[in-house]
Amino acid sequence: MKPSQPRNQPPNWAVRFFRWYCNDHLSDAVLGDMLELYARRRSAKGKSKADALFILNVLLFLQPFAIKRKSNSTQANSIAMFQNYFKIAWRTMSRQKMYTGIKIGGFALGLATCILIFLFIRHEISYDKQYKAGAHLYRVYNDYSGPDGGKWTSFPASIVHILKSDFPEVEKAGRLIPYNGWFNAGSNLFRPADKLENSYEEGFAYADQELLEVLEIPMVYGNPLHALDKPNTVILSKRKADKYFPNEDPTGRTIILNEDKTKPYTIGGVMYDSPANTHLQFDFLLTLTGVEFWPGEQTSWCCWNYNAYVRLRPDANPAQLETKLLSIRDTYYVGYLQETGNQSAADVKKYQHFRLQPVAEIHLQSEGISDSIPHGDIRYIWLFGGIAIFILLLACINFINLSTAKSANRAKEVGLRKVVGSARGYLVRQFLTESLVYSFVSFVLAILVVSLAMPYFNSVAGKHLMIPWTEWWLFPILIAAAIVIGLLAGIYPSFYLSAFKPVDVLKGSVSRGSKSSKLRSGMVIFQFTTSIILIIGTVIIHRQMKFILNTKVGFDKEQVLTIQGANTMEGNQTTFKDELLKLADVEHVTINSYLPIEGTKRDQNPFWKDGKSKEEKAVGAQKWYADEDYLSTMGMKLVEGRNFILGLASDSQSIVINQAMAKAMGLTKPVGERIMNWETYTVIGVVEDFHFESMKGAIGPLSLVIGHGGSIVSVKAKSKNMANVLQSVTRVWNKFMPHQPIRYSFLDESYARMYDDVQRMGNIFASFAILAIIVACLGLFALSAFMVEQRSKEISIRLVLGASVRNVFRLLTQNFVKLVLISFVVAAPLSWYMMQKWLEDYKYRIEITWDVFLLAGMISVFIALLTVSYQSIRAALANPAESLRTE
Amino acid sequence: MKGTSLGEFEELVLLAVGVLFDDAYGLALVDELEKQTGRNVMISSVHKALVRLEDKGYLKSHRGGATELRRGRDKRLYRLTQAGIKVLSHSREVRNSMWKQIPKIVWEGSKI
Repeated sequence: MKPSQPRNQPPNWAVRFFRWYCNDHLSDAVLGDMLELYARRRSAKGKSKADALFILNVLLFLQPFAIKRKSNSTQANSIAMFQNYFKIAWRTMSRQKMYTGIKIGGFALGLATCILIFLFIRHEISYDKQYKAGAHLYRVYNDYSGPDGGKWTSFPASIVHILKSDFPEVEKAGRLIPYNGWFNAGSNLFRPADKLENSYEEGFAYADQELLEVLEIPMVYGNPLHALDKPNTVILSKRKADKYFPNEDPTGRTIILNEDKTKPYTIGGVMYDSPANTHLQFDFLLTLTGVEFWPGEQTSWCCWNYNAYVRLRPDANPAQLETKLLSIRDTYYVGYLQETGNQSAADVKKYQHFRLQPVAEIHLQSEGISDSIPHGDIRYIWLFGGIAIFILLLACINFINLSTAKSANRAKEVGLRKVVGSARGYLVRQFLTESLVYSFVSFVLAILVVSLAMPYFNSVAGKHLMIPWTEWWLFPILIAAAIVIGLLAGIYPSFYLSAFKPVDVLKGSVSRGSKSSKLRSGMVIFQFTTSIILIIGTVIIHRQMKFILNTKVGFDKEQVLTIQGANTMEGNQTTFKDELLKLADVEHVTINSYLPIEGTKRDQNPFWKDGKSKEEKAVGAQKWYADEDYLSTMGMKLVEGRNFILGLASDSQSIVINQAMAKAMGLTKPVGERIMNWETYTVIGVVEDFHFESMKGAIGPLSLVIGHGGSIVSVKAKSKNMANVLQSVTRVWNKFMPHQPIRYSFLDESYARMYDDVQRMGNIFASFAILAIIVACLGLFALSAFMVEQRSKEISIRLVLGASVRNVFRLLTQNFVKLVLISFVVAAPLSWYMMQKWLEDYKYRIEITWDVFLLAGMISVFIALLTVSYQSIRAALANPAESLRTE
Repeated sequence: MKGTSLGEFEELVLLAVGVLFDDAYGLALVDELEKQTGRNVMISSVHKALVRLEDKGYLKSHRGGATELRRGRDKRLYRLTQAGIKVLSHSREVRNSMWKQIPKIVWEGSKI
């Protein structure tokens, strides 16, 4: 019945809400009563009051007696009905194998991606959550907010004593030196004192005894409170202890590092291997007790090399403590600067801050803090999470699209069910049951896919993830997720399908699924937009990678063999070098510790123009010790001046700087200028800028001074046949170092390894793009099959009337191509914006050019055409009589 | 099935159904109960009692009597069953017999 006066009605939503929850037995009668009462109250009390009372009544009826279905017989009945639902679901699934396969296959792929990414994210956010006092553990870092500002984690040696003595909030504080190449930190040659053979080991760091207590490092052997408190002690991880001292407690044993027999280390204990989800991954911790790297080092504020971790008292307020920490700056640091006459004291007072970072946040939220520890990135967590959800959405869309498209086939069933007395609710329940069945089957399949794809994912993402089979929550979560996703994907189709009017259906006038074609087109556009964005992203990441690997880096990384661990050779290095030079394939040889790739030695030194250290601000620069063959071995170019000359005594006071340093120091005619660091040097040459750090940052100032010896021997080969070179070099090495196996790498490979993370991103993106395309194409394939099926009569008639195969093909495909083109128009600007953001991380980057978009557009149109054309061509080639004679 | 005992409110509803006889539906019952008892009666509690009484077998219902005011929605009209009549008369008998057993002194005492 149509309402005569809209104003005489109670709020529509309340009525609908009531009808939704109330059972059929009472619904009409009670609503009638309430409407009657409403009409009475409206005339007596006015609309607003009547409305309010009506809503109150609707809410008061929200009780079990009104919600529960009233019949006693439903219990037994519903079991029978569910059995029937399952049977029908099974029959539809097995009758239409292709559609079922696509629905389930697409779903399973999407779910598998989601599960993988969920496991990945779970791993990433689990970092450093295991500490008992986790809420009170912090890392101290510097925040310099002025020009050329930055954040970094190193402090002078005295930091922990100051923290503990000046601030009662600090309960414990420990230092750590994780820097590769800082004395014995990083990698070393290692042997137990009673063995002869040396082995190369990585993962060394210097640490305080108290750091073990702050970071609650669990010990297998040894006293956790005294493991590092004596000078020259070291603790090993369990796996290393098992390697060198199997089946025994090595506490008290002696080890030798780098053949330095004057300074043996005593093992103070064995710690458990650090779990994969901690930011500090070390196998050897060398004590800082009694260590003084050079005279006065422990008390001076000159050199900042220590990371500091603190445990605060439970009642301490970290924000307040941060403000209090400024007193360190004002008393100690500024004091030191003024004493030495440094000009930056005023700036420091203005810009320098000390901050506290919760240890649990170090892994994901250290963007912008330089600490030379590998990190995750919270942005990637969001990105991957987003992509996972999008791919799942694509799969859900397939499900919805196919279910609604095929609705005509189910319409008769719906009509008949309604005629024999099925209420809409029952039908909704039936279709939801069906989509749940799909969802569960897909989940089982997805788990299978995940366990198969896990090794591949691990190698791409550089992780060691596993399906946590043994965790109690795994199956409940999976089941809950299957239910939620099944309902999500099924809710629209089930309401859509159950809404058919029996009269229309049985008369045969139901529009054959065309009603929602707009919605379906929208969904196809959504799918392809996502896919195209991922394709464009993949292409751009790939190009940036290629750019990094092939761009001129300022040195020649081809045909260079590097041998690590030469520092143990001591006095024999020059002879070794001469021997190598005698080999036929060898062009140049240089020995030092600094290479233009990450992971080799770095430092940072202040430089001034001669005599200006009290007046001017320092320029921070690398100071690398190199011999006269360094530039030629590395293929670096001098733009001005000369190289070091062998045997020229005055060259010990000479320095070669790079262009960036000349610019930073404001030297227009650098050659001949005198600059000072701790000593005074004369600039003899300027080397062309070369990349010595990641391309993410600009090339910084760098200088070379003469020095002989170091840990890395670099050999430039004449021929391209590196295998030969390696063989002859190894022979020479074994003659010199019979107890130490040669350890080598190729410069170009080490360089490529610096950009592993970019490569990784590229691979992950490519995998995602392929997945998205597969899921979208599965959907498109099924849709086109459906469309061809629907229009088979039309096509037959066209063919009979003389349409060519090409006409039919065009007719069937142009719609889909149009959709893909629209998606492209949506995707192009979006992806341009996103990739621009990504590229901003790189100081040296490619321009995004139009051909990327052209390529992506063509790929997607091509793939879509390929998908659609199979069905279209089949339809166009079919014999028209086949489909026409049935009528 | 639920127990057969009658709550006070349920008994009142049963009685009201009897009183209204031909036109015993939700809203009319509310009006009747308010008129007879002077209490404020919620429509939901009446319907709740009706459902309960029907479950217990004291009432039976059918649909009918739609009006313009109800926008064409049927009423659910209730009528007492034999069991309903029996339970009412049983409860009345119990009360009557208990009334009779109260000694006179109680009534006189209460006047003091």
